[in-house]
Amino acid sequence: MTVTRRTLVGIALVAPLSFVGTAFAADPIKIGYQLPLTGNTAQYGQDFKTAAEIALDRFNASGKLPVKVEIVYEDSRSDAKEGVAIARKFVDDEKIVGVLGDFTSGVSMAAAQVYKEAGMPQLSQTASHPDYAKISEWQFRNITTQAGEGPYNADWMVSKGLKKVAVIAEQTDWGQSVTKYFSDELTAKGGTVVMTEYFNRGTPDFRSLLAKIERAKPDAIYTGFFYEDGANFLKQMKQLGYAVPVFSTSAAHNQKLIELAGPDAEGLSLTTNFLPNSPKPEVKSFVEAWVKARGAEPGQFPAQAFDAVNIMLDAIVKTYPKTTRASVRDALAATKDFPGVTGVTTFGPDREPVKQLSKVRVVGGVFSPVAE
Amino acid sequence: MSEITRKGWVVPVLLLVLVFAVAPFTLAQFGKGYFFQVANLVLIFSLLAVSLHLVTGVAGLLHLGHAAFYGIGAYVAALMGTDLKLGFLWGLPAAGLVAALFALVVALPTMRLVSIYFAVATLAIGQMINTVLLNWVAVTKGPNGVMLFSGIKLFGFAVKGPLAVYFVVAVVVVASIWVLHRLSHSYYGNALRSLREDDQCADAMGIDTVRLKIEVFTLSAFFAGLAGALWAYTTGYVSPGDFNFSNSILILAMVVVGGLGSLPGAIVGAVLLILLPEVLRGLGDLRNVMVGLVMFVSILFLPKGLFGEVSALAFVRRNLGVKWGAAPSEREVGWR
Repeated sequence: MTVTRRTLVGIALVAPLSFVGTAFAADPIKIGYQLPLTGNTAQYGQDFKTAAEIALDRFNASGKLPVKVEIVYEDSRSDAKEGVAIARKFVDDEKIVGVLGDFTSGVSMAAAQVYKEAGMPQLSQTASHPDYAKISEWQFRNITTQAGEGPYNADWMVSKGLKKVAVIAEQTDWGQSVTKYFSDELTAKGGTVVMTEYFNRGTPDFRSLLAKIERAKPDAIYTGFFYEDGANFLKQMKQLGYAVPVFSTSAAHNQKLIELAGPDAEGLSLTTNFLPNSPKPEVKSFVEAWVKARGAEPGQFPAQAFDAVNIMLDAIVKTYPKTTRASVRDALAATKDFPGVTGVTTFGPDREPVKQLSKVRVVGGVFSPVAE
Repeated sequence: MSEITRKGWVVPVLLLVLVFAVAPFTLAQFGKGYFFQVANLVLIFSLLAVSLHLVTGVAGLLHLGHAAFYGIGAYVAALMGTDLKLGFLWGLPAAGLVAALFALVVALPTMRLVSIYFAVATLAIGQMINTVLLNWVAVTKGPNGVMLFSGIKLFGFAVKGPLAVYFVVAVVVVASIWVLHRLSHSYYGNALRSLREDDQCADAMGIDTVRLKIEVFTLSAFFAGLAGALWAYTTGYVSPGDFNFSNSILILAMVVVGGLGSLPGAIVGAVLLILLPEVLRGLGDLRNVMVGLVMFVSILFLPKGLFGEVSALAFVRRNLGVKWGAAPSEREVGWR
């Protein structure tokens, strides 16, 4: 931990202020949100918090409920130790009727054991582990898993005549599901996976991997990476002068990818269920609020968090005044055709979201929808 | 002598009463799972810190891969519970033994290394084990982690509820720490200290330093493995991220902040570094900085730790072990 003297002094001055209490309203309904506000994945957690604040402010201003809804944010640092402790804390607070989060599948699943035991509905905006929603009837997620996205991408590539595909993904539970579902569908549609390779998150050098891909002579590369690794990969690919089409998942749909990779990101194709330049009014107003708060366009993840919060709030409205953990769970399970910024969402009987995917490509430094 | 004997009983009894009566009673008063969870974490990390204390504090070997053995224990317990359907009573000792076995195998070639070379070797071992946990998908399920649903069963009875789980964790941890206490406060512990102070000199005195290092490394891994099994059973889900380098550093920080070479210090360090981030939750984003600040200030002003070795040894001698009273020279030496 690097701490300079100046920050120390600053903290010493500011720290007591954060204890100054919040005002009490008449019995607010509470939602818990566990997310990484610090640590290696803090950028995602901070995005979720901003998205949740936008959603909550609007909700409380709309007057849909006579009482206020509050969100209790707890920082998990993407650490299972903290995640489980937070889960217990939320369960102990009787006013909390539902929980959002966590960010990573690992922490979400460790916390899920607590929620399952205690009977607390948990809705994660990003947990993509194939077994997450299977833990119990209390787990929901608002992210299309690779079970939907992988085959969709495989079909897309096959329809473009790209049949020999090299598949690479980060070595995480999510990366595993990226390769599995994509490869199954590609093989079923008559394509071949010429190689499958995993890399560790935060790999600085993809050159040896790229050389390996080049030797396998694929028609295209299918990638499971987030924007940081994606930008590195695309830059180094361009440096090596290697040019084949690259396809990716919605995880790479982040404006930062284009900022980091610059012109090297051109031509990257991916699927998404959130288009910030969509003309839909709900998307427009969310993007406006986001730009006001952050000064840049939102990516896929904040949009998913925004929808997750709204889906949870919607479930609370439906159950009010008999809002309990059990009734919120049932209302969540009954979510049907919820009009969110990431498309219309319905929870299936397996508590997995059913969403519409769109195809986009980076053209001229923007993610542009394509019809293919 | 009778006075010493009486004194020798007071503190251990007080500590036992604290762990087995006062703490659970207070926690049960609150009736909250959260406090039990934090209490379990404190206990598990106390065991980790005390087991590392034996290697790093007493024997003076900078060990940067302790979390890896903790991870092996957790995975052994979790995989035995799910794949082999062997419950807690099998998983707990197996976790310790397998972790110890791994430690023994890696210790054989590395223990001849000294100082910084040893530290780098343990760093590499820790990273290797963590990478294997992450990438050996066929066995460890890789990044998907292992879900352990079965919970703790003792002799056919399911241990349910936070209070019962707390007691199981507390019994294992207290028994283990007692063993580690007897190891580090004995002639054996003194041999380890001689190793720390000057291993060449110890060698010249006839102490088999390499063998001693291998033993202490293996023993410490055994207890880290036990802690891993406790973590697996109290959480129900393990994944490689829980046993990475930053956890090794966290455990090391507990030992150093508490006082290098001091067993009570290691416990104090564990209690502090687990409780502090939880207590400071109200500070939001600043809490990590505050934790860092506390560590920084404590090292700055108390470089020997919160409970330094000298005072800790005096404390342990006075309260936890009886001195060898009437040595021929009438000087008090050694440990019971």
